[in-house]
Amino acid sequence: MAFIGKPGDRVRLRLAQEEVEGTVLESHEPGICLLKLGSGYNIGISADHILGGEVLGSAPVSQLPSVVRRSSGKPVIGMVITGGTIASVLDPKTGGVKPLASVEDFVQYYPALFQMVEVKVIRIPFKIASESMDSEHWKLIAQEVGNLVNDPAIQGVVVTHGTDFLHYTAAALSFMLRDLGKPVVLTYSQRSIDRPSSDAHLNLQCAARMVIDKAAGVFVVGHATESDDYCQALLGTKVRKLHSSRRDAFQPVNTVPVAKVWPDRVTYTGSFTPRHTKPCVVDAVCSDKIALVKFYPGQSPDILDYYALKYKGIIVEASGFGHLPVSESGNSWIPLLKKHIRAGFFVGCVTQTINGRVDPYVYSNGRELIDAGVVFLGDLLAETALVKLGWILGHYGWKKDLEKKMLENVAGEFSERLVC
Amino acid sequence: MRSPTLGFKAGLEIHQQLDTGKLFCACPGYLRQDAGDVRVTRKLHAIAGETGEVDVAVQHEAGKEKTFVYEGYHDSTCLVELDEEPPHLISPAALDEALRVALLLNCEVYQHTQIMRKLVIDGSNTSGFQRTVVLARNGYIETSFGKVPIDTVCLEEDSARLVSEKSGKEVVYRLDRLGIPLVEIATAPTLTTPVQVKETALKLGEILRACKVKRGIGTIRQDVNISSPGHPRVEVKGFQDVAMMEQTILTEIARQQSEKQGASQVRQALPDGTTKFLRPMPGKARMYPETDLPLLYISKERLDGLKKSLPRLQHDIRQDLLKQGLSSDLVTLVLDGYVPLYTTLVKRHAVSPVLTAKLITLWTQEVGTKAHMTADERASVLTEAIYDEILEYVASGRLAEGHVKGVLKSVVEGKSVSSSLPAPGLDENALEQTIRALVAEKPGLRANAYMGLVIGKLGTGIDKKKTMDILQKVVG
Repeated sequence: MAFIGKPGDRVRLRLAQEEVEGTVLESHEPGICLLKLGSGYNIGISADHILGGEVLGSAPVSQLPSVVRRSSGKPVIGMVITGGTIASVLDPKTGGVKPLASVEDFVQYYPALFQMVEVKVIRIPFKIASESMDSEHWKLIAQEVGNLVNDPAIQGVVVTHGTDFLHYTAAALSFMLRDLGKPVVLTYSQRSIDRPSSDAHLNLQCAARMVIDKAAGVFVVGHATESDDYCQALLGTKVRKLHSSRRDAFQPVNTVPVAKVWPDRVTYTGSFTPRHTKPCVVDAVCSDKIALVKFYPGQSPDILDYYALKYKGIIVEASGFGHLPVSESGNSWIPLLKKHIRAGFFVGCVTQTINGRVDPYVYSNGRELIDAGVVFLGDLLAETALVKLGWILGHYGWKKDLEKKMLENVAGEFSERLVC
Repeated sequence: MRSPTLGFKAGLEIHQQLDTGKLFCACPGYLRQDAGDVRVTRKLHAIAGETGEVDVAVQHEAGKEKTFVYEGYHDSTCLVELDEEPPHLISPAALDEALRVALLLNCEVYQHTQIMRKLVIDGSNTSGFQRTVVLARNGYIETSFGKVPIDTVCLEEDSARLVSEKSGKEVVYRLDRLGIPLVEIATAPTLTTPVQVKETALKLGEILRACKVKRGIGTIRQDVNISSPGHPRVEVKGFQDVAMMEQTILTEIARQQSEKQGASQVRQALPDGTTKFLRPMPGKARMYPETDLPLLYISKERLDGLKKSLPRLQHDIRQDLLKQGLSSDLVTLVLDGYVPLYTTLVKRHAVSPVLTAKLITLWTQEVGTKAHMTADERASVLTEAIYDEILEYVASGRLAEGHVKGVLKSVVEGKSVSSSLPAPGLDENALEQTIRALVAEKPGLRANAYMGLVIGKLGTGIDKKKTMDILQKVVG
């Protein structure tokens, strides 16, 4: 027997030995009808067990509550919504997940945000999970943000984003928004807003606070600790997701936080560029002929043949100091590296230890790699290096200066001093 | 005179902690007295979404006042209790135990069911909700007044333990209790006298104790829904002692009938048999699916397996133990949590069941009390392995029954079993020969006087009972 009713409908189902009444919910399990009972509990019923039934009433049309009117006098910001947990809610009527899609939705779910600031524009270029993004999405976000920051009425922009690949987008915006004179803050949530303990509230409020403060640049703002007390602002090129589920998943790498942020104040803990009024130039280009490769012991250099055929350059997460097997090894990468690099293929190396920098001069292995043409990228994060390589290669005519440009400190991506 | 309970209707709701470790993570389920290693501070926010039902702004204002502090432990709580990691899949051990309870209550088990989030905004759950799942329905238990219908059996997670509350602003909770599995049994509201309520509670308690449940204060919580004529339903929570149930219900009915205008409310059962107002009756619980977990499927094979391993009820076990020669009092002691240990030991050692029962209950408790030990301390010293060793010595004849208690005492004082054994005794013939020789040497004394001489010769390790028996025989 087939299903009776559609999500939201009240139904009575006839089973072999009894009748069950409830509200139909969206089911993600094939062949299972999900039903909310009068007690509030949900149960599943195999479609094969449903002998018949009837719809008792259709889903009520939900009414949005009246929107809180925005009063004037508050700082004005812009928002760019790109999807992720922070902008999705569970619809309890159907059991499905629905996106927050308007200013009104945000007012309803994040009332405290709107007590602090006035959101002039919410732009939603797309709504997807961050693993579904590519460089085209980075470019779109950069365009949207660029348009907003160049609006004199807007003090800065909050970008909401899925967490998993947020630091790639943060790096991309850092390179693509040239002469940025206002704060652009990416924020997220690790706990969805359909739970009372969601971290989204504090993250959004602190993101808004950072956006109306004095530092210009691209930052990631989110929980500094497991507690709901304050957030930290992290430089967009020096940040990485370091935990799959904790609230304080984003941490600075090879640097300190730019600031501690509370909903009502900012305390700076690192250096920053002050706001300025120069217009922002959106330099949203990116080549996708790039790849990130992680070296492991025993890995064959054969893969270089594949990458050199299909790509313009790769970033290799090599050993701590940036080593790969050299001539002393039975598995030396040197001959193939030399062959492809000589033919114009770029190989940059970063450390796979995440923290610290690569250094070619401590062991002879490093010097052999330098001789082969491998570019050692200091304390650059692997993800930032990848994005930067794509951004540079996206520019016509920049390829001849590729090594020089990769080593130039464009957006604070290199730290000269690694703090102890 | 009109009976005060005429027209009275009541239903029971029992929450019992299971002794299986936590429901949605791999942490152990014990409570701690030491201060936490970790303190995390959180706020809870109103949930918007069910438009029209919730005044978001008002709830938000109400919620943000309070700060919740959670104390956790590096070695016994994890990111799941802290709401820093999604729940793990439901504990198979806890689920099996709850299903056993449902089967013992003759319930029909749902084949597909969904773990739900029940909104709790007092901070007692780090997530802001309690996870709960309905497992079974339409059961019954047999009582002296007929069948009592069981409406539902649910499995849910216990809440965090309140440590302190500072002027309503900062509330401190401990995470040790959060996530301990609770099986919730709700009877239909068909009980018509306080005596029936009490009998039902006792019967349910007996069934629960046959399963792997936690024992002791706070591990079972019993609520009674009471409605008397002309008064809306009142829920009386927190009966700790079934003995007080009848009196509390009678007092509550009298209170309800003396009220001019009754209100539906939740009241707390007090130790003196009265109740006090806790809060108005909440509306229907707001429940959402636990989106981090898949639908729960309970296969027929799983249920068939559980049906084969259902624990036996106390009534049946009592009859068995009586048949094995245990006195009624001794049976009662064994039934108080020692049935698995007793059964194992009796199966393993060729020793009298009565001795085994006395060893693990009566003597163990006596020796522990004399040494001022708590039940937990006692259990950590007198382990199953120690009992095994003692019973092995008894079975092999190396340790006489009369010396067993002495060995226990010595083990509690820190010695090993082998070094606690009395000096190798003589066999009965040798003992009798020694005694006859002593009596021949110094004739005409009383039995007690010879006892002194025997001890003087053989040491204090002798089996005094056996010696006295022989002396009586020899001296006459």
